[in-house]
Amino acid sequence: MTILLLLIPLSLALLVGAIWAFAWAVRSGQFDDLETPPLDILADDPQDAPRQPPRDAA
Amino acid sequence: MTGRNATRRCHHCAEPVGPGGPRLELDGALRVFCCEGCAGAARWIRDARLEDYYRLRSDASARVEAEARDYASWDRDDIQAGHVRDVPGGREITLVTDGMRCAACAWLIDRALTREPGVLDIGANAITGRIRIAWDPARTRLSVALSRLAALGFRPALARGLEIERAREASRRRWLLRLGAAGLGALQAMMFAEALYLDTQGHMPVPTRDFLRWITFLVSTPVIFWSGWPFLAGAWRELRHRRPGMDSLVAAGTLLAWGGSVVETLRGGPQVWYDTAVMFVFLLLAARLLEQRTRAVASAQVDALAQAQPALAVREKSAGGVETVATEQLLSGDVVRIAAGETLPADGVLLDAPAAISEALLTGESHPLDHAVGDTVLAGTVSVDRPLRIRVTVAGSGTRLSALTRLVEQAQAHRPRLARLADRVAAGFVIGLLLVATIVYVWWHLHQPTRAFEVLLSLLVISCPCALSLSVPAALAAAHGRLSKLGVLATRPDALDTLVRASDLVFDKTGTLSTGRPELVDTECRRDDGIAAIDAATARAIAAALERGSRHPLARAFAAFDDGRAVSGVREVAGSGVEGIVDGRLWRLGLASFAMQAVEVTANDDGRIWLGDGHRSLAAFRLQEAARDDAAEALACLQTQGLQLHLYSGDAEASVAEFAARLRLPDAVGRLQPEDKLARVRALQAGGKVVAMVGDGLNDAPVLAGADVSLVVSRGAALAQQAGDFVLTQDALARIPAALDLARRTQRIIRCNLAWALGYNLLALPLAAMGHVTPWMAALAMVVSSLTVTVNALRLTRPGRA
Repeated sequence: MTILLLLIPLSLALLVGAIWAFAWAVRSGQFDDLETPPLDILADDPQDAPRQPPRDAA
Repeated sequence: MTGRNATRRCHHCAEPVGPGGPRLELDGALRVFCCEGCAGAARWIRDARLEDYYRLRSDASARVEAEARDYASWDRDDIQAGHVRDVPGGREITLVTDGMRCAACAWLIDRALTREPGVLDIGANAITGRIRIAWDPARTRLSVALSRLAALGFRPALARGLEIERAREASRRRWLLRLGAAGLGALQAMMFAEALYLDTQGHMPVPTRDFLRWITFLVSTPVIFWSGWPFLAGAWRELRHRRPGMDSLVAAGTLLAWGGSVVETLRGGPQVWYDTAVMFVFLLLAARLLEQRTRAVASAQVDALAQAQPALAVREKSAGGVETVATEQLLSGDVVRIAAGETLPADGVLLDAPAAISEALLTGESHPLDHAVGDTVLAGTVSVDRPLRIRVTVAGSGTRLSALTRLVEQAQAHRPRLARLADRVAAGFVIGLLLVATIVYVWWHLHQPTRAFEVLLSLLVISCPCALSLSVPAALAAAHGRLSKLGVLATRPDALDTLVRASDLVFDKTGTLSTGRPELVDTECRRDDGIAAIDAATARAIAAALERGSRHPLARAFAAFDDGRAVSGVREVAGSGVEGIVDGRLWRLGLASFAMQAVEVTANDDGRIWLGDGHRSLAAFRLQEAARDDAAEALACLQTQGLQLHLYSGDAEASVAEFAARLRLPDAVGRLQPEDKLARVRALQAGGKVVAMVGDGLNDAPVLAGADVSLVVSRGAALAQQAGDFVLTQDALARIPAALDLARRTQRIIRCNLAWALGYNLLALPLAAMGHVTPWMAALAMVVSSLTVTVNALRLTRPGRA
């Protein structure tokens, strides 16, 4: 059972790492808007999209 | 979208389209648009290959103004000062817009502005209605990005109350962090606990067992005290006010499970419950976060709307010429120019010429009102159709708008609060549990002192009110989610609870129940005069011709009867009516005294519009406000739900009575000032009634805030929405009975949940008190009871019968 002395601290280190990563994600605003980003994958990314859309349209 | 075309609605903003109107080939079909503005936006979206927007959106877009606005003054440093932050590579500003209605709008803004050269970063948030733009001043100007936004229908305005919003966001993130930490901690604690649970035969050496227990202690303690801090702080508050409620219950549950485990770890006792404690914190945090989110969405949108007041004003310089200044710099005595369609930045006196001004923000009244030169006009109102000049009398926090906003805040602070059902049950439970625990401990101490502590501990842990405290948050989270799907946003935590107990429903004006459009119901022609008698159709056509150019609200009633006959010499006589020559004759339309000679005026002409030639009347029209299509049905529905309905209106007594009779409203009173309405509401409350109020105007906001619970119609004044407990996002009265039904179902489910949880505790407590409960029984019972209440709560997410 001595292996526990290695594995348990290891799991604790992973836990700390996971919490740190989550804190980073929250602080950098990854969770601020959970509705808009999911739409991105639904829209096709046009390859030939004009870099500069026409200005006269408005 | 093809269905929309069939009913001829604008492809962009879904407003009805008349014959003609611009057309555009889009997505392989020819679409119609209501105006050049919408068509222009759609053309740009098509040319930029962002047509996906129309597929992704879940709500119609905001109507786009045809005339482009000039945002050049936003580029000036003195205007930007205080609103712009320096970021690496450029500057950043936060704006609000009222046009962002769903996530697809945020997507569109993001895609559209990212393509503008020189724009560094875009953050569009559909939840808060805010747009963050970072740009490089060396490569582009802010006004370019703003013009692009405006051309797509998102009119930008400077965001106020940034500190409040930042604080809200910080709190949102802190909650999320707490939840995440609780979730990860709970997983780990569960793993260690699993090792302990699997040792069913007791083979684990004691040092290994204690080592695992201490590790679990290490993981769970921060979860209890940091993640669970909101509950602990809330419990402390409740206890200090001697009103134990839900938070006390939750805190007691977690602290008992955790404290009991610490004691058992120290004593080397048979069982620890760290995992229960952390799981409990995690689940409750999740439920509360869900509930808060739906409410936060509602209040953020309302706030954003209310803050969208003009940031800039055009001031005349004393030496001639004009300058653009920030609204804060306006002083009393300044002369300010306001373009057509712009919001007035300050209270003032109208100069030069009469104008029609919409006071929708203040009163919820959508008709523009005619103001004469020298009239006082108010900040927050909108000049409808022509540019204005006003002399500022009051600016800044002294305006009537600011005063009303403060009044609303005060009225809210003094609102009577009803104790929540769940809090009362929780309080009773906490007190009862402590009593039972004391009795049991004393009894065991007298009869078998060695087991007394152990039995007390298992009693407290098994009664750990998991199910009880889950039962309410789970139901509330489900109910709020369902409500927002219905188009009813709850902005206050206890709104649902109070709505259930409403016994009386008060409508604050006929406008809430009517379409706001006058309707011609009766035309009466004079019959005793053989020569000049005209038939009803001719009379209506003449009236329509006279009113053709008028902006008077009543003029719209005649528009449908216009057969295009020529009219000349039209003259509006303020307060009397309109005259003009039709078919070679002079006609007068308006008050009886105006349309005919005073001798003929009889007593019973009140409320009618007369058509005459200045001497005799030839026809009389009766107009009334048209009730909304769904009004009668919604009212009948509310009555079957057992509500007493009232209509307290500020309109004329006769028209209110007539309107109420048509809708079969039992109690209708007209000619009431807001103070009278509030007094009547207070009188109802004094009689033991719980009053719900439906309204839309800011001048009635104190009444809305004074009622026990209030519902605000979304097209109403933005500031009135801040006084409402519920905001109806869709303009349909049928939402009110639906919301009430949901509130009642929620209450039933909460009751049912509480009964389950209490029943479980009543069953478990005696067993535990007698010392018969083994750990696995306790664990199983806990899981089953918690699952039962959660699943029960999820029933709310299904559509109701009503």
